Amino acid sequence: MTIKKENAKRLGIYLLIVFLFMLLYILCAKPMNRSNAMYYIIYMIFSFSPAIASLITRFVTKEGFRDMKLHLHFSGNFKWYILAFGLPLICFSAMFMLPVIISGHTDWLGGFTFSNILSNALLLFAFSAVQSIGLLGEELGWRGYMNQKMEPLVGTVGTCLIGGIVWGLWHLPMDIAGHLGGNGTLSEALGSTFGRLAMLTCFGAFLMWLTKKTNSVFPAVIAHFMYNESQGAVMMLLGEGNIPESASLPLWTDVPRYFPLLVIAAVFVVLLMRDKRKAV
Amino acid sequence: MTGLVYKEWKQNRWFILSMILCGSAPLIVLLIMRGEIKDIGEAPIRIGGMIAGFLAAGALQMMVLRGDDRKLWGYWITSTADGYKGFLRVKYEMIFAMIVLFLFTLQCVDRGYCAVAADVGTRDVGEISGIAVLLCFVQILLRAIDIPFVYRFGSKKGSFVKLTYLIMLTIFLLVLFILNKDRFDSIIEVFKTNSSLMLSVSLVLCLALYYLSYRITCRLYLKGVEQYDH
Repeated sequence: MTIKKENAKRLGIYLLIVFLFMLLYILCAKPMNRSNAMYYIIYMIFSFSPAIASLITRFVTKEGFRDMKLHLHFSGNFKWYILAFGLPLICFSAMFMLPVIISGHTDWLGGFTFSNILSNALLLFAFSAVQSIGLLGEELGWRGYMNQKMEPLVGTVGTCLIGGIVWGLWHLPMDIAGHLGGNGTLSEALGSTFGRLAMLTCFGAFLMWLTKKTNSVFPAVIAHFMYNESQGAVMMLLGEGNIPESASLPLWTDVPRYFPLLVIAAVFVVLLMRDKRKAV
Repeated sequence: MTGLVYKEWKQNRWFILSMILCGSAPLIVLLIMRGEIKDIGEAPIRIGGMIAGFLAAGALQMMVLRGDDRKLWGYWITSTADGYKGFLRVKYEMIFAMIVLFLFTLQCVDRGYCAVAADVGTRDVGEISGIAVLLCFVQILLRAIDIPFVYRFGSKKGSFVKLTYLIMLTIFLLVLFILNKDRFDSIIEVFKTNSSLMLSVSLVLCLALYYLSYRITCRLYLKGVEQYDH
C-alpha cells in the first residue's frame, strides 16, 4: 500500500471514530437534558474524543504511538509559546474592540483601564500554564494526528480549509444542543454553527503553524485555551464599561469584527506555504 | 530526551498516577464520612479533603526526587548528550505535570460531584476547585523552593538546611514587621485596592520562580554531586 493510501485509510478511520462520538453526543441529547451527571459524563467523553480517536486509530492500524508531538520542546521555542498566549488575546481584544471604536462608542470601553487589562492578561497567562491541559483532548487529535495525515493528501491550504471545517463541524452538537433542548430556533443554532466554523477554520491555520514550528501540540493547547478564555475576559471588561442596556452596533461592524481572524489566517497560511517551500 | 522521560516514567509512574488519587481526595473523604454527612453540599468536608489531597500530593511530588542524590548517577548523567541540565529539565517538567494532573483530577471530580448533587436536588452546591487553582500555585512555589535544596545537599540534609533557611527567613520577616509595623497599614491598603492585580502578579511570579529555581538547580547541581555521601 502506498503512503498516500495508508494515510487516507488512517484518516478515514480517525474521522469515522470522531464522528461516531459526535453521533453519541446527539443521541444522548435528551438524557443529557434530564440529568446533570449524564451531561457531564458525555460532555467529558466528547471533549476528549479527538484524542481517544487518534489513540484508537494508532492502535487499530498498528501505527504505534511515536510522533504524538507530546514533547514540550521549550528550548528555542519559548517565543512561540509566548505567541500562542499573546496572539489570541490580541486578536479577540481587536475583534471585540474594533467594532466599538469604529462605530464611535469609545465611551463604552471604560472597563479597559491599564490595571484591569494587566491583571486580566497576567491571570490568563498564569491559568494557561496550569489549566489548559484539558484541551490536549482536542489538540492531540486535530493537530497531533488529523493534520499530519491530511497534509500529504490535500496539501497545506487544503488541510487548513478542510481541517478547519471538520474541526468546526465537530462542534455542531454543542451548537445545536440548545435547539434540541427546546431553546432557540434552528436558524439561530445554524447561525452560531457557521460563525464558529468560519472562526475555527481561520484560527486553525495558526494552530497548525504553531504545531509544525515547534513539533509539539502544547503551544496549540495554550493557544486554544486562550481562544476560549480571552473571549470571556474581553467580554467581562466590556461589561465593566458604560454600555446602555439597549445598545446595539450597526450590522456593518461585523466586517471589522472578523477582520483580525482573517488576517491571522492569511498570514499563517503564507508562512506555512513558505516553510513548506523551504523544506523542499 | 525521550530516554530520560522513559526513565522517569518507569521509575516514578506510581507517584505520577497517585496524583489522580490525591485529586480525588475530596470525594474519598466524603465517601468515608458518608454516615456523618447531613448535607450533600458540605463544603468544609470537601475543602478538608482537598487540603489533605494537596498535602499528600506535595509529599508524593518530593518522592520522585529520591534516589537521584548519588555521585555515580550525577557523574554519569553529566557525561550523556542531554547532560545534567536535560535531566533536571525533565525532573522539573515531570513535577509540573504532576501538579497539573492533580489539579485537573480535582476539578473533574469536583465538577462531577456538583453535577450529581444537582441531580439529587441540591442546586446550590458550589465548586471548590476555584481554591484548588490557587493551592496549585502554592504547590508550584513550594516545589520551586524544595528542589534546589534537595539537589544541592541531598534529600536528607537538604530538608534540614531548607528548614534552617526558612526559620532564618521567618525571623528576619518578623523583625522587619516589628520594626516597620506603622508602615504596614499603608502596604496592606495598597494590596487591598489592587487585590486583583496583586493576585495575578503573584501567580505569574510563582511560575517565574519555578523557572528561576530550575536555573539555580542547574548551577548548584555539580557542587551537590561532589558532596553526596555515595
